[in-house]
This record gives sequence, C-alpha cells and structure tokens, in this order.
Amino acid sequence: MAKLIFVVLLTLIPILCTSFSPEKPSDRRILVLLDDFAVKSSHSLFFKSLQSRGFDLEFKLADDPKIALQRYGQYLYDALVLFCPTIERFGGSIDAAAVLDFVDSGHDLIVGADNNASDLIREIATECGVDFDEDSAAMVVDHSGYAVSSTEGDHTLIASDDFIKSDVILGSKKIEAPVLFQGIGHSLNPSNSLVLKVLSASPTAFSANPKSKLTSPPSLIGSSISLVSVIQARNNARILISGSLSMFSNRFFRSDVQKAGSPTKHDKSGNEQFFTELSKWVLHERGHLKAVNVQHHKVGETNEPSIYRINDDLEYSVEIYEWSGTTWEPYVADDVQIQFYMMSPYVLKTLSNDSKGRYFTSFKVPDVYGVFQFKIEYERLGYTSLSLSKQIPVRPFRHNEYERFIPAAYPYYGAAFSMMAGFFVFSAVHLYNK
Amino acid sequence: MARSSTSTSKDAQDLFRALWSAYSATPTNLKIIDLYVLFAIFTALLQVVYMALVGTFPFNSFLSGVLSCVGTAVLAVCLRIQVNKENKEFKDLAPERAFADFVLCNLVLHLVIMNFLG
Amino acid sequence: MATTVVGAAFLLLLLLPFSISQPISDSHRSAASDLFNKISPSLEDAYEALRVFEILAIEKKPPVTTDTCHTVLENLGSSSSPLKDLFYALKVSGILKCDVDGAVLKKIASRLKATVHDASTLLDIYYSVGSLVLIKDQDSNVDVLLTDADEIFRSIKALSQSDGRWRYSSNNPESSTYAAGLALEALAGVISLASSEIDQSKQVSIVKNDIAKLFDRIEKYDDGAYYFDEKFVSGSEHQDSLSTTSSVVRGVTSFAAVTSGRINLPGDTILGLAKFFLGIGIPGDTKDFFNQVESLSFLESNRISIPLILSLPETVYSLTKKGQLKVKVNTVLGSAAPPLTVKLIRAFSTGAKDSAIIDSKELQYNQNGGFHFLDAFPKNVDVGTYVFVFEIVLHDSDSEKIYVAGGQIHVPIYVTGIIKVGSAEIAVLDSDLGNVETHKTLDLAGNDVVSLSANHLQKLRLSFELESPRGRLFKPHQAFLKLTHETKIEHIFLVGNTGKKFENVFDFLGLVEKLFYLSGRYEIELTVGDAVMENSFSRLLGHVELDLPEAPEKAARPPSPPVDPYSRYGPKAEINHIFRVPEKRPHQKLSLVFLGLILLPFIGFLVGLLRLGVNLKNFPGSTVPATFGFLFHLGLAAVLLLYVLFWLKLDLFTTLKTLGLLGAFTMFVGHRILSHLALTSSKLKSA
Repeated sequence: MAKLIFVVLLTLIPILCTSFSPEKPSDRRILVLLDDFAVKSSHSLFFKSLQSRGFDLEFKLADDPKIALQRYGQYLYDALVLFCPTIERFGGSIDAAAVLDFVDSGHDLIVGADNNASDLIREIATECGVDFDEDSAAMVVDHSGYAVSSTEGDHTLIASDDFIKSDVILGSKKIEAPVLFQGIGHSLNPSNSLVLKVLSASPTAFSANPKSKLTSPPSLIGSSISLVSVIQARNNARILISGSLSMFSNRFFRSDVQKAGSPTKHDKSGNEQFFTELSKWVLHERGHLKAVNVQHHKVGETNEPSIYRINDDLEYSVEIYEWSGTTWEPYVADDVQIQFYMMSPYVLKTLSNDSKGRYFTSFKVPDVYGVFQFKIEYERLGYTSLSLSKQIPVRPFRHNEYERFIPAAYPYYGAAFSMMAGFFVFSAVHLYNK
Repeated sequence: MARSSTSTSKDAQDLFRALWSAYSATPTNLKIIDLYVLFAIFTALLQVVYMALVGTFPFNSFLSGVLSCVGTAVLAVCLRIQVNKENKEFKDLAPERAFADFVLCNLVLHLVIMNFLG
Repeated sequence: MATTVVGAAFLLLLLLPFSISQPISDSHRSAASDLFNKISPSLEDAYEALRVFEILAIEKKPPVTTDTCHTVLENLGSSSSPLKDLFYALKVSGILKCDVDGAVLKKIASRLKATVHDASTLLDIYYSVGSLVLIKDQDSNVDVLLTDADEIFRSIKALSQSDGRWRYSSNNPESSTYAAGLALEALAGVISLASSEIDQSKQVSIVKNDIAKLFDRIEKYDDGAYYFDEKFVSGSEHQDSLSTTSSVVRGVTSFAAVTSGRINLPGDTILGLAKFFLGIGIPGDTKDFFNQVESLSFLESNRISIPLILSLPETVYSLTKKGQLKVKVNTVLGSAAPPLTVKLIRAFSTGAKDSAIIDSKELQYNQNGGFHFLDAFPKNVDVGTYVFVFEIVLHDSDSEKIYVAGGQIHVPIYVTGIIKVGSAEIAVLDSDLGNVETHKTLDLAGNDVVSLSANHLQKLRLSFELESPRGRLFKPHQAFLKLTHETKIEHIFLVGNTGKKFENVFDFLGLVEKLFYLSGRYEIELTVGDAVMENSFSRLLGHVELDLPEAPEKAARPPSPPVDPYSRYGPKAEINHIFRVPEKRPHQKLSLVFLGLILLPFIGFLVGLLRLGVNLKNFPGSTVPATFGFLFHLGLAAVLLLYVLFWLKLDLFTTLKTLGLLGAFTMFVGHRILSHLALTSSKLKSA
C-alpha cells in the first residue's frame, strides 16, 4: 500500500515539473500580493482577464505570515504580482532580496505603485532600474494633458496616449482611446539599455505635490517621465512597473475618457486593452522566441561536417519560433542576421526565410583559417534576445587540395623533364661515344 | 678613329678565331659534355627570362626548374673535370667511376627536383 | 496595526477620488447585469444573484433557470439535506416563488424545530431559525412557532462574549464579529417566532447592551466611514471587512425590526456605515456585490435611522461655461429623500480658511430633476479651489427621528476659468549698463517665434502678466521656462512673480556652468498651467543664439543624450569577406609559348650532338655486357619514369620503396657494365 503511494507520488513529480519549462514558456501560477482583499474585487476585470487566459492566480495579503516564493529550493510560482504599494514589510519569507532573486531566476514581475508607495516598493523598483520621484507627496500633474472630469479638479488624473511603438509589446491593434493614469511618475536611467518606456507622460507634465506651490523646478518633467515601464532582463525575465495602481482598477477600465484639448470623447478608456496586451507580453505570451534546429552543411551535401575548409560554400539554416501563449508559431522577420565570427565578424549576412519559420542563407567561408563561430545575436525591441553560437573550425588547404598543375609553371615542368631526358641521352652518348 | 675600330674589330675576330681553333682541339667527349652544359645553362636562362616576365608565382616550381638546370650543369662540369685526361689531379680516377658518381648524383638531383616541382 | 494599515490602504485605493459618497446609480445596475451572468449550480450563488436583481430592480432576467426550482424542490424534499442548503433553498424559493408543497414545508418545519433544540453550534441555530422564519413568510399555514423560544434565546445568548462578539460554538473559544451578526439575526428570528411573548424587557435590553458593546469595536476611516474588521478565526473561513460589516448590519437591522423599543446608535455611525458601503464603488466580485447591495437595502429602510446621502454630480465648475452648482440628496439606494432644504452655510478658499467667500445661502429645488441648485456663483467667486460647507435641514420635525443627515458636510470645489495672459515681452540686456539691446513683445496667443542672440555677458529677461477672470492676481501652479540646446539638453527654470507681473532674468554670466558652456542655439519654451486654469499652455517662444566662452578643464561634462531605443535594435550592416586576391597569373598562352621555347635547347642539344658526329660505337658487342648495358640504360629510364610517376601521382613512400629496388638493380647492372667498359678501355690503353 505504501509502495503504491510512493509509486504514484513518483509519477506525479514530472507532472509538477512541467508547469514551467522551456517548452512552455508562459507562466501558469501567479502569486498576487495585495494590501487588502478589496483590491481583488475592485481590480477584478484585470484578474479575470488573466484567469481567462489560463493562469492560476493565488491571492494573498502581503503581510500574511504564511506566504513564500519557494520551498526546498523550488519556486512555487512562475510570476509575481505586487499590488501592495503601502506594504512596509512582507510577511513570511519574502523580502526585497527574495523578490529580486525570483526575477533573477527568470520569473516575471508586475509591480503597481501608488502615491503612497512605501520605501520597500520603491527599493524594489530602483533595483529593477526604475527611479520613482523621491518626494513622497509628489504625483504626476499635467495641466494640459489631463482627463476631463467633472469630479477630479486637480489634474492628477491624466490621459496619456504616448505609447511605445512596438506591436510586440502592445499588440497589433492600435489603442484608440487614451489611457487614464493617476499616481506617481518615474524616470529611467538613460544609459540603461534594458528598460523601456511603454507609456510616457506628455511634454507639459511634471511630478510635484498637487496641493502646494512649487519652490524649485521639479526633478521629473515632460516626456522623460515614464508612467508605465517594462524591463526585459538579460535572462528574458520581464518586469512591468506602473506608477498607478488605480490604472488596473475596474473603475478606470470602464470609465469614459476625454483628453483635455481634444474634442473626441471615448466611451471606454484604453486601459483594459492596454493592460490586456501588455500583460500578454509580460507573461511571455508574445515576443518569446526560441531558435531550434541549427543546421549547416556544405552546398550539395546534407550531413553536417565537423570542420570546414577555407573557400568552401556552405549553407546555414535555423528555425525560429514564437510562443503564442498556447503553441509555438513560426516567427517571420526579415532582419535576422548570422555572423561568421572569430574575434570579429568576418561575414555578416541577413537570413532569408520561407515564412514558415526556417531561416537560411549560404555564403563562402573566408580564406582565413581558425576556429570560427556561427553567431546569431538577435535583439529586437520587445522580443527575447536570441543568442546562438556554434563553434566550427576552418582549416586551410591540404597539401593535395591546391591546383595540381599550374599552367604558369609549365615552362618549369618542361625544363625539368627536358633535363631528365637530356641526362638520359647524355649518359648513353657519353658511355658509348668513341 | 676608323682605323682603331676596324683594328679592334679585326683583333676581336682574330681572337675569336684563335679561341675557336683552340677549342676544336678538345676531344669529342669533352665537347659533348660542353654541349650538355650549354644546353642546361641555356634552359636555365630561358626560365629566368620567363620569371622576369611573369613573376615568381609558383616559386617552388621556378626554383625547381632552375635548380635542375643549374644542378645538371654543375654535375656535368664536375664530370668534365674528372674525365678530362689533361687534368693532373684526377689522373688516377677511372672515368667510369666518375661517370657512376655522376649518374648517382643526377638521380638524387632529379628525385629532389621532382619532389620540389609541385 | 495591520488592520489599520489595511484599512488606510483600502481608503486610499478606493476612496481617493471620492471625497463624498455617491449613492447607487444606473452604472451599478448595468455592472450587476454584467457581473451576474453565469448560471451557478449552487443555491447560495443563485440566491445572491436573485436578491441583487430584486433590490436594484433590474429588468433583465437574473441568471437562474427552471432547473433552479427543481434543485430547490429536491433539497426541500430530501430529509437529509444539510441545514445550509435548506436555508438557501427556502430563500431562493421565496424570491422565485417555486411551487412548494405545504406538506413538505410542514415536514421541514418539524425537523427544524427539533434541530433548534439540539443545536450545538451557532451556525446550526442560525440556519434553522432563519429557515423557520422563511417558511413562516412563505406559507402561513405551517406552524413554525417556537414554544420554548426563551430557552433558544438563552442558548444563543450563552455563546456571547463580554466585548459584544459571539463564539461559533461552546467548543471554540475564539470570538468573531461576523458570528455576532449571525447571532443577532438569529435572535431576531427567535423573537419573531415566539409563540408567547419573550420577556422582552430584560432579555432584549441585555442584547441591546451587547449591541452597544459591539459597536464600541467599530473602526473608522479618516473620511468618516465606519466598518467592522475581523482577525483570522480558526475553524471558519476568513471574513474580510465587507462581509463582516454586512453581517453586523444585517443582524442589527433585523433585530431592530422585531423589537418594539429603539436601539440607540449614533446617527454618525449609521451614516458612516453607509459611507463605507458606498465607498466601495462597484465591486468586481459577486459575493462582494451582494454584500454591499443587501447591506445598503437594509440601511435604506431600517428602524434605527435611515441615512441620507448628499452628493454632487460635479465638483468642477467653469466660470466661462457658467455652470450651476447642483446638489442631490438621496437615500443610499438612490431613491428620493423626504422634503428638505440644503443650506450652503459657507464657502471659503482653501488658501484662506478664515475668510468666507459665500455666507449662508439656501439652495433652490428643481422638482423635475430632483436636485438642489445654486443659481449662479456670486460675483466675488474667482478661479481657485474652495471648500463649500453644506447642511441638510429636514422640513418635517418627525423625519429627524427616522432619518439621519449628518451635520456639516465639507465638499472641495474647483472653480476654473480663463486666465488672461498679457504684456508678454522678451528682451536682451547688457549686464553692466542695464541697456536694452533687443526688445520684442510677444503675442502668446499667436504662433510667432522670435529670434535673439546674446553672449555670456548679457542677460535675457522674460516677463508677462497673469490676471484671473475677476481681475485679480493669479499665481499658477506651473510656470516653467525651458531652454533646450541643439543637443537636446534641457534646463528648467521657475518663473517667479512680484504681484501680477511674472518675470525671469537669465544672467548668463552666472549660468555658464549650469549650461555646461555649450554655445549655440537654445530654444525657449514657456509652460504655464494650473488646476483651475482652463487655458494652460506650453508655447515655444523662439530661440536665442548664445555665445558662451570655452569650457575650462575642470568643468562638468554635459550629460550624454539618451539612446534612442528604436535605433539601438536595428539590424547591422552586412559584411562580406574580401578574399585575398590571387596573384596575377600570366596568360596561359604565354606559358605554353615558353614551354615550347624551353624544349628548344633540348632539340638544340640533340642537333648539336648529331653535328658533332656522335656514335654509339663503344657499345659492347658481346651479349652479356650488351645485356648489362642495355639493362643499365633501361634501369636509368625506369628510374626517371618512376620520378615522373612520382611527380604525377605517387607519394614519396612508394617511390622510395620502388626506387630502392630499381636503384639496387640499376647499380648492379651499372657496376657490371661500367667495370666491363673500364676493362676494355684499360686494355686499349695498355695496347
């Protein structure tokens, strides 16, 4: 009986391990930490959109003493949503370092801050590369780009339509209505190449306390204020940081919006479409590439040699797929490039594709010998980076691979043979002449 | 002056005729060797002219060709020295022995040349 | 501590945009029909949906089918159904009016009466008593009266704690506020089912004490909302603040409904509870929605006091549009209030709390629209943020006992208007003499740009005037002047003011370091904005060519411009390897010509030999030496042929092997022929 249970448990282990694997990169289990369970109800449209796409959401209070991200070294969740801006200290075994380790191990993170964001949330954001305004009373105010409202008069509710131009991140369908935002702004370090501004403030926006007069120029001004940013780490973990938690709420999703200065009034704000598409990207349902089946061989052959000779003609092919959330779809692009690299690229060619995800090209091996690499370093805005490298040695000509009889040397050949013939004749004549 | 030029040319002609008649006195087998040497040298010269025209591209072939000619010439000259009866130094050396050395050296030379010819 | 944090978060998350509550409106109704759209097999869910649709009077059909009545009848018919299922089945049947047989009800009633006596847990008593009350409402023929109501009363009371909370059972020592609500409802049920009068005065007054103690535990948000919260209680599902507060409201209002006396709860508490429920907005969860709507329906008509909600559909008014200040007073579910007047006690600006702009005005009532309004803003109301203080005065003095309206209600109001921007001018001054070098007036309404030039010894002065619609000084929240260099480096300055005149003087001598010593073209942009300014603008004024001195060694370097993300990710330029050009080869014909030429000396050699008259007379005549001779030359030829083959295709090893054989052979025969020749020549010599 105990044996049976043991066997059953043993067979369950591989099933548990398949929940997040390179074969199915989008996350399944998401831990949502809240300040208050009322957020679960007031932001239910956002959570429902995640659940309808097949994610298992687990809601816990952020200071619940029983929460944990990992047990016995295994992570229990594939993604973390922090909708707890006022939390000073997490409960259980979670702290800022644990959250950052979670991201470092390749898992995704969504952080919603607000104008009462605690130092802990600000610290987590700073570690991810996003700096919130240090003034804790500051909010993003825009006197020219606010959302026209009969109940909000201090212009902290702003309507922004300055989206990042990327179909991968925001979907191919244009977001017609502006997105409502009410919260704190953040800036990105300009030398950080991993952070992207998904939603920027308009040039007239600034970050300051809406109730008091300004005494010095605010530190965050104009389009450099980012309202919603994403970070794609080098291990392809994706982080979404938003300065407003109410952006995700049902109220903002359902609200109508009219940007100040614009005559059009949209019945529904762009928040729902914006976050549905953006959450698809963050949770790896879009823009996640994998490259498989690298093949290279000499033109005319099919097997893969272990060494090439200089001046060989070779063909290289690779298959690239994009995860669509449920299956791997062929990825079609015309800017994937292959490098034949040894200390520096000797050959850099754009791969042509057959619209089914197979990329191929052929080129001539340079006449420099050494150990080369077939390198594909593919980095595009919003896509995971592909970094493939296959080492292949290139040898010079063998002694018997040169031209056998060189026409330019015919006179010399002739001379040598004529010498030999002359010797033969001479030896005969010399011996027998009288 | 016309007289000295004609006299110098006459002198040259006389010199040449004297050399030629002296040379005719050499034995036939030495003449054969001389002819052989000339043949080799001439071939070498032709190759050098060709190289000057087109460059040294297959340098190994060039060297091989030229060396074959030069080596042949050198070995032939050595044979001539050893075979020449008037040469007191090699009085005791049988000409056949010299010839055997000559043949051996030539065979080695031609092996090397063939290897280097490419 | 955690609960206050949680509570504060709740407030700020949801109540921030609502400075005042709004009663239930049509948006609630449409959200309800969207939310309750799944048909659930559970009777509890079906009941919640039905009840919400009933309270909000939604015309759309609730998500229940005929199967629901079947399930109800099944549950009622079965004698082993759990109490909870019976309870909800009866609730559903009460709304749907499923045709339940009287006999079935009689059977259930008798079972329940027995259970009530033996029940040990609060939940059992609650469900049993509740079911009996429902049966009483649905079929008056069934006898549900409890003969020993006193005893049951006491047994429920026995589980109460000294702080007003209740325990779930005698085994469980932990007390819960949620359980208190259930207990109060059960007690109310018992009182209504009593066959003989319960000793109202003593028992009921004890319960009233309990209620008072329970309400001592109430918690409060900053904006006046009251709520109950619950810590984790083992042995039962965790109830958050909404379900706990709903449970208490349900219990207290049902208890108040059955007792003859009054339950004294301060009006502020009831109003606070109403604010709490309304402050949630539109919940996204069906259970939260049900709890909110049902609690509001209990508050709408209860015997303690009915809260009246004062709400403003708009708090932002524009002087240009000349809007009217509208105020609505409704009950929590949006129904009409009793006759009353709304008084505007005073209005003051947020900056000057002491001086009142408006003093004591009465709002007029619009019968058709059902709202109170202020005809027009008085002339002295200028743009700005104000606080209007309202008070509700009921017409009927009796109504004051039934309704509670709250005292003074503070409402922040924004009055916006067009700010006149005038007298804008920009000038370049010489620093020492104060002379004006260039002076240009700006028309900020138009689009013209000015073009100026200055060097580091001069100053740039920009000034303009701002005037509010009523002609007063206006200091905007945002008055920025931005200088942008060609390399996209920006510098922001605040424009200060003296009275109505706003002025900023750029002393370039002092600013050289801040500008990183970068000379060139700077664009000047002025941004003026405020929350109450309808015409906030950001305008490019023009550009100024600045001539600054060279940066000294130690000056700070300007920050590098940010990398454009779109350009960073593009494809790289293609690289094609340039192969080493092979050496120039001569023409093939030339090589062939020379090949021919090379063969000429050989032919010349042969011809020369013939001219010399060579012969082969020395060839040995006798067979053996002749054979050797022949073999010797054959051997030589073979070796040379071997060499040719070696050049053509053989490798050195085979060649050397064969050469060894051939060489040995040739040497042997050569030795023989040569010795023979030597012999013959020595014979000749001696002869």
